[in-house]
Amino acid sequence: MILRWLTRLFRRRSALASRREELELHLIEEVDQLVRQGIPEAAARRRARLELGSPAVAVEEVGDLRPGALAEGLVRDLRQAFRSLRRSPGFTIATLLLIAVGIGASTSIFTLVDRVLLQPLALAEPDRVVRLFEASPERRIERTGVARGNLAEWRNRARQIKAMAAIYVMGRTVSDAGVAEVVPMAQVTCDFVAVLGVVPVVGRGFTSDECRAARYSNAAAPIGLDPVVMLGHRFWRRQFGADPAVLGRTLTIERRPFRIIGVLPPAADLVTPTAEGYLAWELDGELPRDQRYPAAIARMAAGVSLGAASAELQRIAADLGREFPETNAGWTVEAIGLEEHTTGGARPTLLVLLAGAGLLLLIACANVALMFSARGLARSHEASLHLALGAPRSRVLRRGLMEALMVGAAGGVVGTALAFAAVALVRRAWPDLPRASELAPDGTVIGFAVVVTLGSGILAGLAPAVQQARSRAIDAMSGGKRSIGDRPAARRHDALAIAEVAVTVMLLVGAGLLVRTVAGLRSTDPGFDPRDVLVAPVFLDGQAYRSGDASRTYYASLFARLRAIPGVAVVGGATTLPTSPLGPDFARPVWPLDRSGEREAVRHASVRIVTPGYLDALRIRVADGRAFDERDGPNGRRVVLVSEELARAIWPGRSPIGEQLVVDYSTAGTYPYEVVGVAGNVRFGGPRSEPLAEVYFSHAQRPYLILNVAIRTAPGGPLIDAAVRRAFQEIDPLKPAQGIHRLTDLVGATFLSERRAMQVLLGFAAAAVLLSMLGVYGTIAFRVREKAAEIAVRLAIGATPGRVVRWVAGECVRVFVVGGTIGVLGALVGGRYLSSLLYQVAPSDGAAIATALVVLGATMAGAAILPAYRAARVDPAATLR
Amino acid sequence: MAEQPVGGVVAGTLDLLILKTVALEPMHGWGVGRRIEQVTGFRLKLGSLYPALERLEAAGEIEAEWRLSDNNRRARYYRLTAIGRKRLAAEIRHWRRRIDGILRLIEAT
Repeated sequence: MILRWLTRLFRRRSALASRREELELHLIEEVDQLVRQGIPEAAARRRARLELGSPAVAVEEVGDLRPGALAEGLVRDLRQAFRSLRRSPGFTIATLLLIAVGIGASTSIFTLVDRVLLQPLALAEPDRVVRLFEASPERRIERTGVARGNLAEWRNRARQIKAMAAIYVMGRTVSDAGVAEVVPMAQVTCDFVAVLGVVPVVGRGFTSDECRAARYSNAAAPIGLDPVVMLGHRFWRRQFGADPAVLGRTLTIERRPFRIIGVLPPAADLVTPTAEGYLAWELDGELPRDQRYPAAIARMAAGVSLGAASAELQRIAADLGREFPETNAGWTVEAIGLEEHTTGGARPTLLVLLAGAGLLLLIACANVALMFSARGLARSHEASLHLALGAPRSRVLRRGLMEALMVGAAGGVVGTALAFAAVALVRRAWPDLPRASELAPDGTVIGFAVVVTLGSGILAGLAPAVQQARSRAIDAMSGGKRSIGDRPAARRHDALAIAEVAVTVMLLVGAGLLVRTVAGLRSTDPGFDPRDVLVAPVFLDGQAYRSGDASRTYYASLFARLRAIPGVAVVGGATTLPTSPLGPDFARPVWPLDRSGEREAVRHASVRIVTPGYLDALRIRVADGRAFDERDGPNGRRVVLVSEELARAIWPGRSPIGEQLVVDYSTAGTYPYEVVGVAGNVRFGGPRSEPLAEVYFSHAQRPYLILNVAIRTAPGGPLIDAAVRRAFQEIDPLKPAQGIHRLTDLVGATFLSERRAMQVLLGFAAAAVLLSMLGVYGTIAFRVREKAAEIAVRLAIGATPGRVVRWVAGECVRVFVVGGTIGVLGALVGGRYLSSLLYQVAPSDGAAIATALVVLGATMAGAAILPAYRAARVDPAATLR
Repeated sequence: MAEQPVGGVVAGTLDLLILKTVALEPMHGWGVGRRIEQVTGFRLKLGSLYPALERLEAAGEIEAEWRLSDNNRRARYYRLTAIGRKRLAAEIRHWRRRIDGILRLIEAT
């Protein structure tokens, strides 16, 4: 049975050819018969054909019965579709590009959203992991690190938490055969791996012995015996080529050999995105409760909700505040799910981009539908002929659909390729996108692309194809071209054009709002001038630079060498720079000497240790008093500078110069300092952040090992990066600069999300404008052609071309007004979802809306010019023939 | 001109007519069509006859081979197979029953 079916399948072509021959012979017999009856040959032939039907059609009917009929039909349709598409390359390429762009945009954005937001974190039970912060609302401190003493207490007392780990990331010098590199490394307590829920890719985590043996000097240099290190995945790939035999080898960190015992998976980046390696740490010895620099993560016990765990921790914090009022009064705990913390920030941006991409895809599909519709109508004549010849309706429908699917499939392939490229681009251009290391298109994305492709192909091709199939045979008879417009088609075109205009307006408004946001962010006075400033962070290690003098000497000679570089104007240094993520950023309690003992007088001020040239290098203004100078050395009086914000908080309304400010510097002692100057407010976290209370120490008096060296160059001068690197090299070859950054780049990075969103939305809006232009042009051109007869009549009886142009303009205006109104309404509604990204601009910003409408109006006018011109040039005689 | 067979009425019987025709003697397509026209008065179009022949051939009830016809022309001759013979007998029985039933109905008073 099956065998017979298969043989018939394979012999299809020869069998059908044989049938054809048989049918022709049948006809010949009939003709013979008629001739014998006396009918002349020609007439006989005609009569036979008429009565018996056409062999060609009959063979088709026979073919339909044979196996492989469907496949053959499809193949035939495909070939025909391909040929007809090839004959109109303009149409094919245009629609292909339209679909490709729409799919490329939506697929790449979907990849981003899927990977960053939707896919669960690659951890064991990721919803159990939380980030912990300490906060003090009364001191206006939102989220800061967790002091080790507090972490130990929480660990002991919390029942809802299974385990906690502390993390501290710092740059460490890693050297290999004389070449040194400063690399961020994370000190982590033993249960880091268990709390996070990752499994080492190679090797193992730390043992408790190894953690206990880990020792750090006061300057945070590792001094334990036989120290061990875990590598981060990125570092392992880069430095060791992902070689699994890396276990047991040594890595020289801070001039000591560390044994490599394991490699962590990329998921560890969730907590320590910059760390390249992990060192052991333990909470023992002196555990201060007020040095809040370590980061903390915790794993909640099974079945515990975030709310319950949070409540318990807050209760414990309150208890600690009562037991240790000096250090803990007024401090509480904030617990945030790790997922929320890492990806929550990017969510608004990504969702906005997803909406934008979806809208763009809609426009692309609408345009494609318009183009297919117009094409279908132009060929309805041909379709009518087909029907008249007896082709079944389904076949005519199939042909039209096949073309749409082919273009859709091709567009989908190109679009997916575009999406892959776009994702790679995003990964490079948006380095701080959370979970960027996990970004790679995969099956879900491909599936999405396929669904979107087929969907848009079918949608785009369906209406015109149905239309083709409905074309009446009678139209073919009456010559086709004279059809007085297809009402449904015209209405559909209108609706599509209006929809396009509306969507374009929305995208334009969105892009406009973001443009104003970024402009606002750029123009906000940050309190310093980031232009022409290079930043080179330096991390001296406590081993080689044991005394304060060694550190002072190092920086003195470094600065002298840097100043000698031609083009350098000012050189200064600070422990932390505004908007720079490099360097230790911590706050200490301060209070005026004459109000010692008063709790309410205590403020928390961010500590900055700076050299004399620093304020000048960053052009931070000196609002009162003076900056540091050579007087403020180790033998001089203890002095500080305060920020305007701190001055205002402690001494409102008067000058703090000469006042005494007590700073509780913890291990370094609590002393009063004389305030000798007030530094202008600085937006430390970038344009969106508020100025902080800051206290500045003189580096000569407090020679911190870590310093960010800021080098201001004369504007327009040559790049001095190489010279800077050489200066570092000459002083201590094993102490290279940890990269050289431009301060403008660092500032720009603080509103990178907004910038990226703006760029992408601008791109979408531009594409949408172009597509809308095409769509409007197509609609108007079609209307003109449709009404060609009517126009010709009017021109013939005396109407002027001017009136015709005005009619075209009228159509254009109608689409613009209706579409524009809908678009503006849509933008107002949608703008609300944009508000978290906006800065100093309301979602209903008039300027953005007005600009959008103007741009759209201009492009629509441009799109309508050609059809208007053609309409005016209609030759009545030719058209009415 | 004889009327064109319409829809299901003759379609059901077409198989029977063809099988019976070739049962009498092997015949080519034109011959079958002419015989059926002579007997029933129905004129078969190419598009009606040949699909039926195809179906019967696919079912193995008739088989065909190319031969030279009477007027020295190539033609495909069909003849009944064993399976076809069985089907023909079954069809005849089936129709006889139908007709008997109808006749009884008509003659009942």
